Amino acid sequence: MTGPALELRDATVRFGSRDGLRDLSLAVDQEERIALLGPSGVGKTSVLRAIAGLEVLTAGTVRIQGRDVTGLPAEQRGVVYLHQVPSLFPHLSVVENVAFPLEIRGTARTSARRQALAMLERVRMAELATRRVTSLSGGQRHRVALARALAADPAVLLLDEPFAALDPELRADVRESTLGLLSSSRIAATVVVTHDVDEATAVADRVLVLLAGGIAQSAGPRELLARPATLAVAQFLGIPNALPGQRDGRGRFASPLGTIPAAGPAGQMVAVFRSDALRIRPATASDQQTADARVIGVRHRISGTVARVSVAGLTVEGIPDGACPVGGSVALELRVADVHLVEPPQRAESGPPVGRPRV
Amino acid sequence: MDRTSRVVFAVLLIVVAAPALALVIRALGPVWFFPNIVPSGNAVQRFTEDFGGGRLWRAAGTSVALATLTGAGGTVLALIAARSLARARRGLRHVAEAGALLPVVMPPIALGVGVHVLALQLHVSGSLVGVLGAHLIPAAGYVTLYLLGVFSAYEWALEDEARTLGAGRVQVWTRVTLPLLRARLAEAVLLGALVSWGQLALTLVVGGGAVRTLPVELLAFLRSGDDHLAAVAALLLSIPPAAGVAVLARGMRSTGGVV
Repeated sequence: MTGPALELRDATVRFGSRDGLRDLSLAVDQEERIALLGPSGVGKTSVLRAIAGLEVLTAGTVRIQGRDVTGLPAEQRGVVYLHQVPSLFPHLSVVENVAFPLEIRGTARTSARRQALAMLERVRMAELATRRVTSLSGGQRHRVALARALAADPAVLLLDEPFAALDPELRADVRESTLGLLSSSRIAATVVVTHDVDEATAVADRVLVLLAGGIAQSAGPRELLARPATLAVAQFLGIPNALPGQRDGRGRFASPLGTIPAAGPAGQMVAVFRSDALRIRPATASDQQTADARVIGVRHRISGTVARVSVAGLTVEGIPDGACPVGGSVALELRVADVHLVEPPQRAESGPPVGRPRV
Repeated sequence: MDRTSRVVFAVLLIVVAAPALALVIRALGPVWFFPNIVPSGNAVQRFTEDFGGGRLWRAAGTSVALATLTGAGGTVLALIAARSLARARRGLRHVAEAGALLPVVMPPIALGVGVHVLALQLHVSGSLVGVLGAHLIPAAGYVTLYLLGVFSAYEWALEDEARTLGAGRVQVWTRVTLPLLRARLAEAVLLGALVSWGQLALTLVVGGGAVRTLPVELLAFLRSGDDHLAAVAALLLSIPPAAGVAVLARGMRSTGGVV
């Protein structure tokens, strides 16, 4: 099959009585897995429901494997939609749940049960086949729901915040097993909706950032985190550093942290970079800094320690290298290759101000 | 429970239980009419004999048939209405809830007059069909309100998921909705049947005396001053509601009151 497995073209999706997303277009390639990443309330779930046929598009089309399914009911689209909290049928056993999509397509009961058991083997749930689903744990429910979805042999699989309802200690395990299953399945396209940046970049080949009104950026995980398209995207991703400055049009960008190489036309720009692009170490007599930099806070996290530094009226965040006590004078080393320039917000934009406020 | 609460509870129990106790004593106690020297038997014997005569058999049969049809028909109507309303916009839902409440809160005699006018227009006044239609109105109202409560706790995602798994609308009904709601629908049928079972005003007004149900015959006993038989008929009339309440309570306990 050539062409996109799933295509949404000029779609307008309503939220209640208003148009939430207008003229939305996206395409998912064959066997591609994408993540729709965005804040709560932006319309991610509505997009999924519209693709599944559970909500009607006000305008636009949905094509699956080249076939226009816009006017088709949900059951004829070849799309399976998995809710955030697995919706297993409580009146059926585990194996009956997994056999459900097979039986309603006319597969004989014994054959459907046999195939369902085989599917349960794949998710390591065969030993619980006869159990009531109400007695399962969150992780087990998730695996049964996934087995049932795969039993339906969908062309497109839609996962709505699939790991959000799981305990943190279970999440990574279930995510890895889900990815393993999806990789070994013949699903043409998978769309995962999430508001969690780490989850989106872990599960998807490509991430579409959905901000107010539409898709703000579509990129692979590495590209997205390294080169956010706009300041709004950078801020949504949680990139902590945004330094305003001037690009001179001759290949240089001047910021409160100094001057760095930057190709492009002259004008106001904002340099964005992650914490790991900025090394913070105690200042020595040999350091020649243009501005006094002092530590104003240190935060210890599982992923490492970060320090916040006040410099030239702004606050930046970086990785401390050695003891950097609060109030101490420090030197900053910026890895220029990891700095990305974006346009400053337009005056009409109502986004947060450039830089981070002092705490 | 403190002392005051215990006293209040005891008073309430007496107020509720006293009429029921009097009814049982009257129904099962001896029948002793003047100028008999000794009691001529008890009310149950007379009642059984009268049943053998056919009048009360027919009335009971009519009541059972009406209650069954009202329970089933009212539940079908209420299921469709409540299901749609539960997913409707809030404003529309409030209006419809008020509409469902209307036949419940209206005095039955006032409702009966309105229904009677309609029944006359439709030429079903004085017929079983007319009375069935009349019973369906409050029954559907009660059951709709009951099912609205059920649907407020209903997991709609199950139906959505079933559809994307390939189930058509009919399959969603037969394989998901109805099995999930089976217990609640049985209770709804019971509720609708009980509304019909005790209905007197509507039956009298729309049935015009031609449709003889147990409450109608009970009224006839009272009018003729035969309060022994009236007590036995009342006892008989009370058994299904008592059993129904027990079944409903058991159902609520077994599911924790959720769908």
